[in-house]
Amino acid sequence: MRHSAYRVAEEFDHLLGDPRDAGRLFSHARSLVLDEREEFPLEICRELDLLGLPAHYVPVAHGGAMRAFEDTLQIMRGIARRDLTVAIAHGKTFLGAASVWVAGDPRQSRDLGAEVLRGTPVSWGLTEREHGSDLLAGEVCAERTADGYRVTGEKWLINNATRGDLVCVLARTAPEGGSRGFSVLMIDKRGLGPGSFRTLPAARLHGIRGADISGVAFTGAEVGRSALIGAEGDGLEIVLKSLQLTRILCAALSLGALDQALDMATGYALARHNHGTPLVGLPQSRRLLARSYADLLTAEALTVFAARALHTLPGELSTVSAVTKFLVPTLAEQALGRLSRLVGTRSLLLGDTFEHGRFQKVLRDHRIVGIFDGSSVINLNSLVNQFPLLARAHRRGEVDEAGLHAAAGLADRLPELDPGRLELLPRRGSSVLHAVPAAVAELRSLAAAGEVPASLARRAVELAEVVDEVIEQIGRHKPVPVAAPARSFGLAENYARCFAAAAALQLWLRNRSAVDSAATHGLWESGLWLECTLTTLLRRLRPTRTEHLVAGGGEDPEAVVDQLVEPLLAQHAAGQLPSLLPYSRLGALV
Amino acid sequence: MATSAPAPGTRIVDREEIRSKLLSLVASYLEQPVTDIQSDVKLVEYGLDSIFALTLCGDVEDEYGIEVKSTLAWDHPTVDAITDHLYDTLTAEA
Repeated sequence: MRHSAYRVAEEFDHLLGDPRDAGRLFSHARSLVLDEREEFPLEICRELDLLGLPAHYVPVAHGGAMRAFEDTLQIMRGIARRDLTVAIAHGKTFLGAASVWVAGDPRQSRDLGAEVLRGTPVSWGLTEREHGSDLLAGEVCAERTADGYRVTGEKWLINNATRGDLVCVLARTAPEGGSRGFSVLMIDKRGLGPGSFRTLPAARLHGIRGADISGVAFTGAEVGRSALIGAEGDGLEIVLKSLQLTRILCAALSLGALDQALDMATGYALARHNHGTPLVGLPQSRRLLARSYADLLTAEALTVFAARALHTLPGELSTVSAVTKFLVPTLAEQALGRLSRLVGTRSLLLGDTFEHGRFQKVLRDHRIVGIFDGSSVINLNSLVNQFPLLARAHRRGEVDEAGLHAAAGLADRLPELDPGRLELLPRRGSSVLHAVPAAVAELRSLAAAGEVPASLARRAVELAEVVDEVIEQIGRHKPVPVAAPARSFGLAENYARCFAAAAALQLWLRNRSAVDSAATHGLWESGLWLECTLTTLLRRLRPTRTEHLVAGGGEDPEAVVDQLVEPLLAQHAAGQLPSLLPYSRLGALV
Repeated sequence: MATSAPAPGTRIVDREEIRSKLLSLVASYLEQPVTDIQSDVKLVEYGLDSIFALTLCGDVEDEYGIEVKSTLAWDHPTVDAITDHLYDTLTAEA
């Protein structure tokens, strides 16, 4: 089985050619030069337009090519594998457009679809200088006029605020503000009266240095009634639902960053010798590679599940998106740190000595991913607010069997994406967590039949225990408005880890027979990747100090993770990128 | 109200009971005595932020066994307003 989303992404990437070839437009060499000059990747973005990337931002229903959200996500991951700056610069159009896919009327959706297909950049103006994520403190206001709105105020640190012809803005439409005091306006800068807006200079940045992270200030800008998306006062609701889509898409950026770094580090570990031994032969280097790969596989499994759940479990997305936006960038950041230790000084070098300086660039570029579109703190806080509902729903234990099955089963047909079915709250909790006991039972019978090692079944049983503990703690958690206590955030992190483990469990169970085991080099057979994912997540969920056990000759609880080095090297040798499912090196087709 | 026994299957809906249930719910979120909460003051003025206000819908659904919009407390920003809305919904159902 070749998973269609990976095939679609690979085909798109193939069009861009081999990035190591400096003669190609989207080459590593060009990316590095642009980064050093802090220059926007304009030609590369134009090339992506010509190759049809914008169509993947527009649902089929509105004239685009987006059937499955995961296709768009995997294409975006492919772009991020080459250059995060480009992925963030170009992909912003999807973020800017998302509110219209959520709440636009048919005409607005069709018109925006046509704009996006033409390559018009769309920006999304939420934050302001004095109010980062506190959206309801926003001061940009839109006063009603005879035939529309008059907009005044400044949006700042906005991706593509300067380049975007269209800016989707959250504006105050009731002077007193509040949950129903804000509205979404799609402002076409090209149609504004002279002097009624100006763009603000791009901020200088540590990473994604070429991106247009700037601002826009409106001074009595007149827009027509048709700029209003949804009803007046629906702004917060629309933005919160749009974020459910965009937060999952952000996972593509983290995966692409880690794919690059792991591929570079693997090449380095094979080529570099210390005292006559290649690094890859040294236990500590192997452990660093293997742990990083385990984190990538965990993040990848969660992302695949989340992107499909958008179609099949839309009512659960407030939880799924918060879990994904917290955990995937966190795992990637952790793995990038580990890989930097492996690569050593070269991880900081500019210039031609090591991978044209791509490693230091990806470290810098990825830093922003855990911050924008809702930082880790915001996403954990959102989970904390959901605790009472999640705990109650867990006790009821309902599972949306069809939705869960289709989210995890890669061969299942996905229903059409319907952003109108997104909910602000997970009324029915998380099907994937409610289904843990059944999944564990399934795994135990596979272990009894000798199809998977007993150690994997033990990990799964341990997961079921931990899920019960975490849910019990969540149930005892007293909801506190605004200032949630610090320990609640730790609990939310653990909830996210349980969720990722449960998603991995489903993904392995539902696809183990269909995946081509030769092409995945032993990752899937006998549940190797799943055991590594569960082992590393459980080590965080139940931290124990084990150095003394190991020093005393006892078993190293992470030893199984080292087994990932073999498939990692096999993928590398076969011209693949490190991945749960086969994916060929950039610019090539399997 | 309801001095006579209700017919089987019908529900007694008492506006004041709903109000006092909501007041004690809000008081427990805020860790304040229920006497400090006034039913005609906007919940945001007590420091219940919009995102937190969403969680109220879960408690209301549990209490009354009905499904309400998650934006209940956004559209009905005071205890009185929520009370009226729930009363209307519950009497329409009864």
